[in-house]
Amino acid sequence: MTLFKEGKGRTKAPLTPWKKKEKKQLPGVASLDGRWGYPAIAPFFLIFIVFGVAPVIYSIYIAFFKWDPLGESEFNGINNFTFLLQDSDFWIAIRNTFSIWALSTFPQLIIAISLAAILRNKRLKGKSFWRTILLVPNITSIIAITIVFQQLFGRDYGLINGILSLIPGVDNIDFIEGVIPSHIQIATMITWRWVGYNTLIFLASMLAIPDELYESASVDGASKWQQFKYVTLPSLKNTITFVLIVGTIGGLQVFAEPQQLNAEGGSTKQFLTLTLFLYNQAFLNNKYGYAAAIGIAITFIVLIISAINFVITRRIAGEGSR
Amino acid sequence: MIKSLTRNSFLGALIAVAVSVGVIAAPAKAADPVTLTIWTFGEVIQPGLQREYQKLHPEVKIVPIKNDVDPLHQKTILSCQTGGPADIIAFETPYSGYWRTGNRPNCFQDLRQLKTSDTNVSAGVAAGLSANEIKKNYLPWRWEQGVAFNDSVIGIPTDVGGLQVAYRTDLFKKAGLPTDRASVSKLWPTWDKFIETGQRYVSKLTPAEKKSGKGFIDDAGSIYAAVMNQGTVKYYQPDGTDRGKLVYKTNPQIKKAWDTTVKALNSGIGARLGQFTSDWNIGMNKGAMATILAPAWMLDYIKKQAPDTKGKWDIADLPVGGGNQGGTQLAIPSYSKNKQAAFDFLTWYLAPEQQLKVFKTYGLFPSTSVLYDDAALLDYKDEFFSNAPVGQIYTKGVLKLKPIFEGELQRKIDSTFGAGLGRVASKKMTPEKSYALVISDIDKLFKN
Repeated sequence: MTLFKEGKGRTKAPLTPWKKKEKKQLPGVASLDGRWGYPAIAPFFLIFIVFGVAPVIYSIYIAFFKWDPLGESEFNGINNFTFLLQDSDFWIAIRNTFSIWALSTFPQLIIAISLAAILRNKRLKGKSFWRTILLVPNITSIIAITIVFQQLFGRDYGLINGILSLIPGVDNIDFIEGVIPSHIQIATMITWRWVGYNTLIFLASMLAIPDELYESASVDGASKWQQFKYVTLPSLKNTITFVLIVGTIGGLQVFAEPQQLNAEGGSTKQFLTLTLFLYNQAFLNNKYGYAAAIGIAITFIVLIISAINFVITRRIAGEGSR
Repeated sequence: MIKSLTRNSFLGALIAVAVSVGVIAAPAKAADPVTLTIWTFGEVIQPGLQREYQKLHPEVKIVPIKNDVDPLHQKTILSCQTGGPADIIAFETPYSGYWRTGNRPNCFQDLRQLKTSDTNVSAGVAAGLSANEIKKNYLPWRWEQGVAFNDSVIGIPTDVGGLQVAYRTDLFKKAGLPTDRASVSKLWPTWDKFIETGQRYVSKLTPAEKKSGKGFIDDAGSIYAAVMNQGTVKYYQPDGTDRGKLVYKTNPQIKKAWDTTVKALNSGIGARLGQFTSDWNIGMNKGAMATILAPAWMLDYIKKQAPDTKGKWDIADLPVGGGNQGGTQLAIPSYSKNKQAAFDFLTWYLAPEQQLKVFKTYGLFPSTSVLYDDAALLDYKDEFFSNAPVGQIYTKGVLKLKPIFEGELQRKIDSTFGAGLGRVASKKMTPEKSYALVISDIDKLFKN
């Protein structure tokens, strides 16, 4: 009985009211804690409300109008949205956006990881030179890149077709007119611009892999390739996820490259991307209301992709902790 | 409250006195420095003349800011809603329909209400002239393109884009075609004959030349606009209303232009070089095309892009005759703070004397019709184009032009048809399918 009582007493023990811990003051400026805190953060939020929240709310509002910037605007109900779903250009734009995204992201991953593996080599000379030069495409203006690549991919006098024509029986490819060829051209521009940046990210995380792992692998008799496959790649899992997410964000925003090739996105809209579609409706066709509706649709697409990303990231993170 | 009010009014009075004293005391001669910001494109504002004006008026600083035509249009729309820094804005005639319609003319100053000051009297522009008084100098239908439907004058015409055929005499000779401009013009009284000549030319090309993409004309698609502009009605028919009646589905001229162009595209006479692309520039140097349908303003472009072809070009008449492409109006936005200075510059810059100079250096053909019987214009020859009497040829073409009603979405509809022909040229679609897509794309423009 005593035992039981004791036991009872023991189970009760955690329920004894805890001593209220004294709140520990965080180090910082004491006067910012109270009434000065809000004014201190106000500048950011004011600017955010004016340039961030207000335009979003306003564009949701005008999405229900036939909105001409210099003409009469009339309430349009959900017509903009129903019209959007029937608009073949919208679906073409979704197709193009994802096709260009896939064509730029996956080759980019492979090239960036390979380049990082080469740069990781301890015997490589002029390391900082190579690392710096990788970032040069990233700071080059898109317009300049487009002009150079247009010449490379030119139908009659382009370098690539020049090389192709050396092979007998191969006709010149009209890159801009084809669906996939034009996507390849745009994806190449994006890859060229971003591959160096991603290489550096991969390089950083490769350098963080402890040397012991490689040593023990080579003691076990693993070849260079096996070391890469079984040590390097698994350690890069989180970085790959990061690069994929950033690439997806960028991929949904591809705008300047196709716009520079042809403002309309090509004669069959073969490289019209979602953002270019939005831009053209607003600023070529002056349909601000319709463009706002497209913006809302893009938001939903981003939400869906974010959810997918979220699930995949969680799974990978879960595997990592196991 | 009362105290502060009185103090304010006292201050106000003090300022007013100070200002008026300043005005009285200011020497009458020293003109205030003015900066004129001009939003423009291409060669509309010519640097040589800009310098000349600044020499006449050291107090005026002219800052031209260049854009492409379409982005400039967007910038103009935005600045009309928000205000902006421009004092003069150029807009191309395909956009004139847009600006003339509805309440959009309010974006621009009504030029009938401004009067020239006496600053340019010595340079030949009398004082006290409003837009109404200089109207008589210009080609009437070109002038009308700057007059809004509420009758306010929003823009003054610069050039008129008379269209002719620029051709390579050396390449014509090689293909066994005549080379002098009179006989060349006789080769193509009609578009069908033009296409036939092209086929004759192409048949003389070696297989290697054909493989490298050489052709008779740079871009057979450019025939569309040329045929279109030989009619009197495009996509809008004047019906007494501002907007006009939409006839893009029914106008026989469109069908004619489309069919002629499709025929040209299928005949294989084109080098398929889109104008103003990098391939086009290179092709011009490599002799990839023997002809270009060239508006007057393009001659200068050819000179600059292919300087080595000097003397190998000449200019012949356009099939059927009388083609038009482009042309610009200069306008003063209503938000401009320097309207008087802007108007003084405009009236000087667009006066016949200056327009003649622009033509001689930049090839922009003047819209000031008072020049059309002036020997200075008619006798002008261009060395680059085998001493062709460029002035005479383009004057003859321009005089044949008929006014066309430019509707609100003219430019957009034009480019939609252009894209449709692009699909036919690249064989991505049959002409019938592509035409149907053009019509449905245009239908979409008028929804939402």
